[in-house]
Amino acid sequence: MSWEHFIYFAIAAVLLWGVGAWAAWKNKTGMAYATTVLGLLVFFSFILSMWISLERPPLRTMGETRLWYSFFLPLAGLIVYSRWKYKWILSFSTVLALVFICVNLFKPEIHDKTLMPALQSPWFAPHVIVYMFAYAVLGAAAVMAIYLLFIKKGGIADQEFFAEQSDKVERDITDNLVYVGLAFLTIGMLFGALWAKEAWGHYWSWDPKETWAAITWLAYLIYIHYRQLPHHRERLAFWMLIGSFVLLQMCWWGINYLPSAQGSSVHTYSLSE
Amino acid sequence: MWTKPWTFKEGFLIGGGLIFAGLMLELSVGPIVWDAFAWPANGIVLSAFFVMLTAMVYLRNKVYAFKWMTTYQAAIPAMVYAVVLTIIMGLTRQQVGGTWLNNMLSFWPFVLIYVYITVILGLTIHRRLRKIFRGQRSMKRDIPFMLNHLGLFIALTTATLGNADMQRVKMICGIGEPEWRALEQGGAVKEMPIAIELKKFIMETYDDGSPKRFASEIQILTKTGKNIETTVDVNKPYEVDGWKIYQYGYDTQMGAQSQISILELVSDPWLPFVYTGIYMMLAGAVCIFVVGGRKCV
Repeated sequence: MSWEHFIYFAIAAVLLWGVGAWAAWKNKTGMAYATTVLGLLVFFSFILSMWISLERPPLRTMGETRLWYSFFLPLAGLIVYSRWKYKWILSFSTVLALVFICVNLFKPEIHDKTLMPALQSPWFAPHVIVYMFAYAVLGAAAVMAIYLLFIKKGGIADQEFFAEQSDKVERDITDNLVYVGLAFLTIGMLFGALWAKEAWGHYWSWDPKETWAAITWLAYLIYIHYRQLPHHRERLAFWMLIGSFVLLQMCWWGINYLPSAQGSSVHTYSLSE
Repeated sequence: MWTKPWTFKEGFLIGGGLIFAGLMLELSVGPIVWDAFAWPANGIVLSAFFVMLTAMVYLRNKVYAFKWMTTYQAAIPAMVYAVVLTIIMGLTRQQVGGTWLNNMLSFWPFVLIYVYITVILGLTIHRRLRKIFRGQRSMKRDIPFMLNHLGLFIALTTATLGNADMQRVKMICGIGEPEWRALEQGGAVKEMPIAIELKKFIMETYDDGSPKRFASEIQILTKTGKNIETTVDVNKPYEVDGWKIYQYGYDTQMGAQSQISILELVSDPWLPFVYTGIYMMLAGAVCIFVVGGRKCV
């Protein structure tokens, strides 16, 4: 199995997810579950066969991590759907997954079998997979924030009095997404620390990737603490979520283009060889 | 302004004041010299820190600021300052021996803001503990809060103060000759309580020539009388007598035929405390996922 076969799995999975999204709009819950799960299985079977044929987990290049991202988005969407029955969530997660699939189809990067010794560790898979799941969930939270800020504009008032009453469901779902995302972000970061001790001799070296991971983590901490305040400005809170997600992009891929991080990060594997 | 209860305004002013004080300190005494915190100095500083926190707790009804520091109005501005300073750190090139923004970890404003956060954490944890002991809150309900906040408090304090006690040295081991000297970061030679003899250096490559495996078969002799034969791989260090032994390098000119192997030996006596904090935070993160975040803040 190789990247040449990706397009067939991708088309099949996206079609299944699309049917699931449509079924959710039409309140055909059972069908929505069935097709989304089937799509996930198809997509995961590609990841798995890549894993087998590469003889290493497909987690090293940006293209490979996008693979996981495209997988986790519909999965996160499905979890949210099963808990809160949002009609639109599956459409949203499908469109996002499609974006990442298209990036992989039209901008393929060099993929090879080799996995350098620094990455051969049992920590590798959990560290990256947990992070990708966190990114997917926090991405969903950022879209919820944009929805509440700009699309459902009339609903949210800046005054606490109105905020108490309107959009409680949407606000709760956004908070829950952030909690789940932050939990996984924390686990991913600490797994990284434990791995770094085994690989590089120290659990935290303020490598640019680590610095930006700390920034992202702190930014989401500010959001959840601010939301605890009985009297706070809702719109400001949602802006915080968008800002935090921008910081997360810096951590994920932005540092590859950051002059201050050039040549000093031990995290740039795919570029260094 | 400064009418009770204090709000974010006061919070941002106090944080700003700390940054100003930090800038004055940077100008007058220069960057923080972390090496000065080696044992026993770090033990003394940590004890003094606890004494200070205890004093603040006792004085909380007399000094309003100490009471106020356990509020969101104090914590959130402090975190905002920390995020901004850390973003600056992320955007500037960090250098060993750099000054001001180029060496954020030794830059007084950066360190003071993080110390301030740690003080807020300590006071907040203490306040929650008092409530639990008074029976106003149940211990069981506050386990996630404690794991997250106390875990972070332990990790922050012990990692920062323990750093000066961490030793990282390089040992260049040749085949057939036990080596007990190592090079410190500054280049000074240090006699180790461990001697290591290289039996065989292993280097494997993929078909395209990229590296697949670096490892050293070694024999270790310790002053405590141990005689161990083992293999050290990248990502698989070996631990003996408080030293972790890492595969670090080799003679790159010789490649797979290298007759030497460079090992890194790391000792970090504070590691168990830092790991306690890290494991508590890991458990705390699982709690956030399971019981929901609202109960963990």
